Amino acid sequence: MSNVINATHLTLSYGNGQQEIIKDASFNIQKGEFVFITGPSGSGKSTLLKSLYGQLKPTDGSLFVGGHDLCDIKKSKLQELRTHFGIIFQDYKLVNEWTVAKNVVLPLMIAGYSLDVQNTQAKRLLKHVKLSDYGNKYPLELSGGEQQRVGVARAFAKNPVVILADEPTGNLDDYSSNVIWDLMENACQQLETTVLVVTHKIPTIFSLPYRHFIIENKGIYEVH
Amino acid sequence: MKFIKNHLMFIFPLIAILLGIEFFMIFERTTNSYEKGLKDGYSMLVVASKPIDTAYLQKLNKHIENSEAIKREEIVKQVAKGINESTTEKILGALPYFYNIWLDEYIGAVGLDMIKQDLLQDKNIKKVETFGNTYSSSYRLFSFIKFSLKLFIGFMGVVSLFLIIKQMEIWKYSHKQRMQIMEIFGAPLMLRSGVLFKVAIFDAFIATLITSGFFLYIKFIWASNSGIDIMMQKQDELFMMGDILTLLGSSLLIVIVAVFSVALTTKGVQE
Repeated sequence: MSNVINATHLTLSYGNGQQEIIKDASFNIQKGEFVFITGPSGSGKSTLLKSLYGQLKPTDGSLFVGGHDLCDIKKSKLQELRTHFGIIFQDYKLVNEWTVAKNVVLPLMIAGYSLDVQNTQAKRLLKHVKLSDYGNKYPLELSGGEQQRVGVARAFAKNPVVILADEPTGNLDDYSSNVIWDLMENACQQLETTVLVVTHKIPTIFSLPYRHFIIENKGIYEVH
Repeated sequence: MKFIKNHLMFIFPLIAILLGIEFFMIFERTTNSYEKGLKDGYSMLVVASKPIDTAYLQKLNKHIENSEAIKREEIVKQVAKGINESTTEKILGALPYFYNIWLDEYIGAVGLDMIKQDLLQDKNIKKVETFGNTYSSSYRLFSFIKFSLKLFIGFMGVVSLFLIIKQMEIWKYSHKQRMQIMEIFGAPLMLRSGVLFKVAIFDAFIATLITSGFFLYIKFIWASNSGIDIMMQKQDELFMMGDILTLLGSSLLIVIVAVFSVALTTKGVQE
């Protein structure tokens, strides 16, 4: 199997290297794997995720995602690479002035799909996250759990190669959490989507022995 | 209401800049013809010991455009009334050669002095009269008016620019969330700033339309009925149809620069 993510002696920091968050970490994640990264608050989980979608450039070491070196990637290439990601944020990051349906099809809009395709996909995706009747509503009319499900539907809109999820069920009720975990697990098993979930605690519903990394003292270690 | 307010906050400073641009163009057009009138109506007097021509004078100073000899017989006729013919001929023989010279552009008092010095360095030229005082006072008044208006237009432009920058900050704030989210998902710059472009281009058209309408009113209605001679004579120069394109081009340029500034400075994820 090929590596989708490959980090070697990776160092991540803020403020021109003044504040080191991750230091000398090495790991790789293969296509179709479901991986958990855990760690206490402030350990650098979200920082790692940021670096994976190219928002934070590594200070040292190397980081390859989908075969692209994120330490030395052109802006246009990064833009193109990001269209293959499905990103789920803890704080949802929905566009408040857009309807739920428009938010969901954002990746399709960026890829230039026709309005017909966008509408069809919006209905299908909203059905998957159990929000079929919410297409014409606005994000601020929805509860936190519902907004997160919209974020998840958006992440799956274009059948991404990699799903990067930052605390996707952080503040959600059991029902919303289960809907989200089911979706991600199915995508991983049926579509070979690589799923990387950053969370402070692995949910108990997971019975399969997924790979698990822990961030501790600036290092990233695999838990066996 | 908020929608209209947001548009007006960009349209008003844009109109102020367009008014400045149009006033500047009108002023340049009308003052150019006034300047030409001053230049054409002005001539220097040169007194030479030998006959000279324009080419000779042009070698002495490049600003000399043309020259014309003043008929000496006419001068003698004026000053030697009642004097017999032989004396008249003697006067004519002793009289130097007089020339009116015209310049190629409107030149200030210092420039006139320099021309005078250049001409006086030639041994054949005995005297140069620039009539500098009369010329200089008209020129100074003209320069002052021109400078004051340009200063006012410049000031208006700077104030309007600050208002546009302020509006850009409002845009940046109100479009930031959407643009950042779109960037994370790989949207190119043009797609990210598409909404902003639509809004701004619409405003640019509205501002051009209002400004053009204002000047068309001045040209066709106000100027005709004003009873002010200069306005009625220069009516054609008040607003030309080509000015609409200049105004539209200027407003679109301002809009493009403003939108790109907002789009390029809105980066990253808001934490």
